[in-house]
Amino acid sequence: MIMRVLKAALVAGFLAACVAATLQTFLTSPLILEAETFEKSAGPQAQATGYGGLVQLAHVHSAQLHSAQLHLAHGQEAHADAEEGGWEPGEGFPRIAFTALATLVSGVGYAAILAALLLASGREFNPQTALRWAIGGFVAVNLAPAVGLPPELPGMGGAHLAERQIWWVCTALGTGLGLYLVTNVRHHAAIAIGLLAIVFPHIIGAPHAAAAASDVPAVLAAQFAARSLAVAFAFWATLGLSLGWYWVRQEDRTTSGLRSQALPVSGERKAV
Amino acid sequence: MSTLIKQAPVAASSQRLVAILAAATFGIALVFISGFASPETLHNAAHDWRHSHNFPCH
Repeated sequence: MIMRVLKAALVAGFLAACVAATLQTFLTSPLILEAETFEKSAGPQAQATGYGGLVQLAHVHSAQLHSAQLHLAHGQEAHADAEEGGWEPGEGFPRIAFTALATLVSGVGYAAILAALLLASGREFNPQTALRWAIGGFVAVNLAPAVGLPPELPGMGGAHLAERQIWWVCTALGTGLGLYLVTNVRHHAAIAIGLLAIVFPHIIGAPHAAAAASDVPAVLAAQFAARSLAVAFAFWATLGLSLGWYWVRQEDRTTSGLRSQALPVSGERKAV
Repeated sequence: MSTLIKQAPVAASSQRLVAILAAATFGIALVFISGFASPETLHNAAHDWRHSHNFPCH
């Protein structure tokens, strides 16, 4: 059973990564490169706003010139640590290749999680169900967090990274749980709790920096946010369809070989 | 024969549980590495993917 799940996750992750990496190369990566020219040409002031707007805040109080310089130095240092420090893939093909590799790692990861959830739910595991659950994954992992933290180009930094990551994870979990309660449990109380779980992270609100300014043109940022969500949708749709397809394909092989090994487990045949 | 039939679902369900836990752990680890892990090398390698897929980055 483990091998079957892992094989299906590998195949689905690979196919989803092929689709997403191709789309990214043409749709989002050019925008990232363009935004980086603004990030690099802009003065250290704009760069440092990515770290909570320390410099800009300090500049407002022009009397505190000394403290502004201190912050400036700090901002440059932090930026250098995050961007220039350490190894990074070379421009051109290596960068595209590593982006594709990261896409593959995430794709296999998400496919394995999706397969685990589908198995745990006891729903029938086929392309239709897997596609539905994958669209749920898109809503939980991409759409809902994007409402509070829209996809950002380099140089558009916001609040503290850890805070944003925590909010992102909580929103994804809350939305996923909420979707499950509303669409699968279908009890009045469950629907109410589910809707609350979906809405609650947005009532609290995503962490945002007080003064987040950026030299990246708004058109570029808007285009990137829309394209990023579109690519994510294609990624999840491919992931779900191929996960279900390969799972059923393996089942067909087992049943044609040795029937007794493919006994339907109780609950597996429930309708969605 | 009857014991065989009774035991099969039990074995299958424990196998299923192991598979679910293994797949979930494996999946969460991979998503964490590609989307959240903070070591610079990992961050730089996955940089464009993190931006494109809306993982909080920087």
